[in-house]
Amino acid sequence: MKNKIGVYICQCGSNISDYVDVVKVKDAALKVNGVHLAKTTMFACADSTQQEIANDIKEQKLDAIVIASCSPKLHLFTFRNVAIQAGLNPYNYVQVNIREQGSWAHSDNKPKATEKAIQLVLGGIARVKHSKELDMIKIHSENAVAVVGAGVAGMRAALELAEMGSVVHLIEREYFVGGRASQWNVLFTTNETGQQVVSRLYNQIITHPKVTLYTATNIVSKKGSVGDFTLTLKTKPRYINPECKLDLKKFQLAIDKCPIEVNDEFNFGITKRKAIFKNYDSEFPEIPAIDYDACNKCGECAKLCDDIDLNQQPHETTINVGAVLLSTGFNPYEPPVGEFGYGEVDNVITLQQFKRLIELSPEKLIYKGKEIKNIAYIYCVGSRQVDGDNKYCSRYCCTSVIHTAILVKNKYKGIQNFHFNRGIRTYGKQEKLYHEASEQGDIFLQSFEDAPTQVEKVGNETIVKIKDILTANEELEMSANLVVLVTGMVPRENADIVNLLKVPIGRDKFFNEIHPKLRPVETVIDGVLISGACQAPLNITESVKSALAAASKANSLISKGEIELEPTMAMVYNDKCTWCGKCSAACPYDAISIKEYNGKQIAQITEALCKGCGMCLPVCPENAIDLIGYTDKEMESMIEALIS
Amino acid sequence: MIKSEEYDVLVIGGGISGAEASINLANQGFKVLIVEKDLSVGGKMIHLSKVFPTLDCSACITTPKISQTARHPNITIYTYSQVNDIEKKSEHNFQAIVTRYPRYVKEEDCTGCQICEEKCPVVVNDQYQYDLVGRKAVYVPFSIANPRVAAIDIENCSFCGACEKACPSEAIDFSQEKIDIQINVKSVVIATGFRLFDPLLIPRYGFGKYKNVITAMQMERQLVPTRPFNHVLRPKDGKMPDKIAYVLCAGSRDETIGNPICSQVCCMYSVKQAQLLMGALPLADITIYYLNIRSFGKGFNEFYQQAKDMGVNFIKGKIGKITETDNGNLLLRYEDIIEGVVKEAKHDLVVLSVGILANQGISSMFKDTLELDPFNYIKQSDELANPAKTTIRGVYVAGTASGPMDIPDSILSAGAASAEIAGYLRLRR
Repeated sequence: MKNKIGVYICQCGSNISDYVDVVKVKDAALKVNGVHLAKTTMFACADSTQQEIANDIKEQKLDAIVIASCSPKLHLFTFRNVAIQAGLNPYNYVQVNIREQGSWAHSDNKPKATEKAIQLVLGGIARVKHSKELDMIKIHSENAVAVVGAGVAGMRAALELAEMGSVVHLIEREYFVGGRASQWNVLFTTNETGQQVVSRLYNQIITHPKVTLYTATNIVSKKGSVGDFTLTLKTKPRYINPECKLDLKKFQLAIDKCPIEVNDEFNFGITKRKAIFKNYDSEFPEIPAIDYDACNKCGECAKLCDDIDLNQQPHETTINVGAVLLSTGFNPYEPPVGEFGYGEVDNVITLQQFKRLIELSPEKLIYKGKEIKNIAYIYCVGSRQVDGDNKYCSRYCCTSVIHTAILVKNKYKGIQNFHFNRGIRTYGKQEKLYHEASEQGDIFLQSFEDAPTQVEKVGNETIVKIKDILTANEELEMSANLVVLVTGMVPRENADIVNLLKVPIGRDKFFNEIHPKLRPVETVIDGVLISGACQAPLNITESVKSALAAASKANSLISKGEIELEPTMAMVYNDKCTWCGKCSAACPYDAISIKEYNGKQIAQITEALCKGCGMCLPVCPENAIDLIGYTDKEMESMIEALIS
Repeated sequence: MIKSEEYDVLVIGGGISGAEASINLANQGFKVLIVEKDLSVGGKMIHLSKVFPTLDCSACITTPKISQTARHPNITIYTYSQVNDIEKKSEHNFQAIVTRYPRYVKEEDCTGCQICEEKCPVVVNDQYQYDLVGRKAVYVPFSIANPRVAAIDIENCSFCGACEKACPSEAIDFSQEKIDIQINVKSVVIATGFRLFDPLLIPRYGFGKYKNVITAMQMERQLVPTRPFNHVLRPKDGKMPDKIAYVLCAGSRDETIGNPICSQVCCMYSVKQAQLLMGALPLADITIYYLNIRSFGKGFNEFYQQAKDMGVNFIKGKIGKITETDNGNLLLRYEDIIEGVVKEAKHDLVVLSVGILANQGISSMFKDTLELDPFNYIKQSDELANPAKTTIRGVYVAGTASGPMDIPDSILSAGAASAEIAGYLRLRR
């Protein structure tokens, strides 16, 4: 039992003290047996207060501390470090949340808010009295990272991790690297092409001794946890000998012979490709691929080239890594048939298809046999939805479409651009592109939030109608040669990865970070980091920044050879346990297995997997499981104090 | 003979970006020197109230990070100091002069008790409260400053000696002089942040002339936990405002004042302040006059929608002119773009959502040529693949020194900078 306890009541500037009488709380704490000192403080987290607490611990020889402030989610570690610094075991510290659970929740009733704060603090004191000295659990960590997705973000992260000395397994689902960036031609801000950026990164990666690239590969199973994940990778056959020297003539002949035609996803379905393919000449890896899912194995191509081997089989590889960095990117939003005429009116395409069309049309801009002279861009398709699920803004599309409109006008003669927008969001320096587009004569029209732009077929013409805010509510219509739907970003289909790694998903269906400012690239699953557009819509520069930040975090997590884990985890009273299996069924982390003990079967906790969530405790009929750091004794005494 | 010191990395600027980059590097074992020109580290962020879109208390996020920086065994911080003459001698070899200006208070002796402040007879505007209130000539910069020690504003000091007599720890020292230190480092991070647009440059908004026209930073200070009045009050008469106007793009997207680009944060901080004001002044009407609302980041559009649902009034229109009418109230003349007519509206407090601009004088710290972009931000020489790289190899940029950015983006950018530097430094190891 601790009996020299220090209690600190934080005002949080005025976040707490506006509603909670902190002096009353302090006085109440002082009356408790075992409390040696109690103080109020303006900001407990401020450096000077941290110093003061540390000095108190040392000078007054405190054996436990309670800090009543904000949520432990914010500052548990801040104050644990204060304890450590002062030589106190960090688990002899309890944080009581009188802000989120006190002042903020009860700002309408100050006396009751104070009363509740007092009860909470008394509960905290009762708990800390029973607290035990605990040590962090140290586990081995493999200085290796699996980077999932070889787009620009993934490649950049892989390269940086390798430079920092980690072994990197770069895993790409497609046959070729580059992700979305390779599908875009000229990029905004630098006017480098996406393919140039990809080539630059690929050449560094492929020559780096610490990076192994896996294409056409998925993760099919996962075992273990932070520091020591074992992943099984399944690689589809390429059906072409990887050592082969690419002969472009033979390759073209094989393409001509191949009887299979599928939608070319690289061009977002506006063209077809054969089962043997490469998306563009300078694509990496250099060796073409034969599409495993499409090929009918007729063998025509193999007759032309000895390096084609249709007997190749999928194979599995097992890798051992300390962390997993996800950079799985985004999909363009796919409009349902009928949304702004998509799939019904023949000259309605998406922005992504349009970008491919431009790259494929060297001289004149021709779509379905007709030369395009005027283009209607319809903004925010699939983003900022009033009725649909996608409430978010896709961030990159305004700038991307304006940049494309400028390119189109420069590339082809006599193009007129009409932008049917909902308020242009060319933030930051991107504003200059908006300016440039206006200068070159593009027309910008803005629809009302409750009256979206309409697209309809009238006779042979495609009519776009808008009630325009910018011309004082004028109802305008135009006949468009081409309608481009500015489709936003949605996450890739990642159900397999989500299921394997249990990655948390946000309301917007993108992967979710722990905190956008404090821990922006980490997830609640230890050792699983996220970067790039799988987390939220981002442009290339922003994706690369987050990839680098994630690489830095991953490296500092695993490169020291061992990782410290929280000792707060379940423990089994071996004598009481009768193995009914209920705890194992309740565990969301597969941390409970069965073992033999004194001739009977009992439950066993795997330390590296247990998160200390406590799900196993209430289901145990024998009360044979306790949670270290939150023992029944601590919790019961806390509850008693709370209701006393 | 001037003193000479060695570090792995020199970080110029101790705001959130500088702190984040320093912690990352220090955790990887590199020795870091942070040089901060202000009296305290923490940059702009430490002065903010709650931050969008999560409405976390800004001080609660900044102070622990700052405190971690200040305590880190691999980090040295010089506040109230400036860097000059940075010269690249060779790869991984930079030399610079750091000038430490005198606080006239012994940092190691001052306890921050503020007794000197009580005795000091000189009152001047408090720059940390954005001139809303006054401070003394000897002062602890602000309550959560780091280091939390006093300094004497020698320009305004009357040399009466009252502080010296009052100080219980004999920390006042008028004999201090500036000290030059020569430093040798392997790499440099520019994390010098931004400056706020000065609304005096748009006379038709009446800032400086009409007391009830304030900047968003002045509003921000009225909303923080350490706020000067403990209420939101308008400056002219101390009345609680009940009809507040926000003027967006004040100093942004405006060729006439030389800043054609968007400042990227003003829409969101205004939407945030509007939400906070609805809590602080439940009866007040809040109108935001905007051109386009740029709520583009993760959770931003939802946050904007939330403000609309709470009853914040959004009017698409540019403010032409602001004039003072009765009792310090203000008349805003504007084009209501949706209705297509020029209108006038009366408000009792006007907040100018001032934009952010590049800090000046950064490139002149370097003897080599450090290129700037057309908007005077540090030029990123390989923006797509190496966003922290500048035109001098070994010199990197983090946060808003390279362009307008919000806090999450600044933190990511600092993360990127630290990764790129670690790569650069390891080339040598």
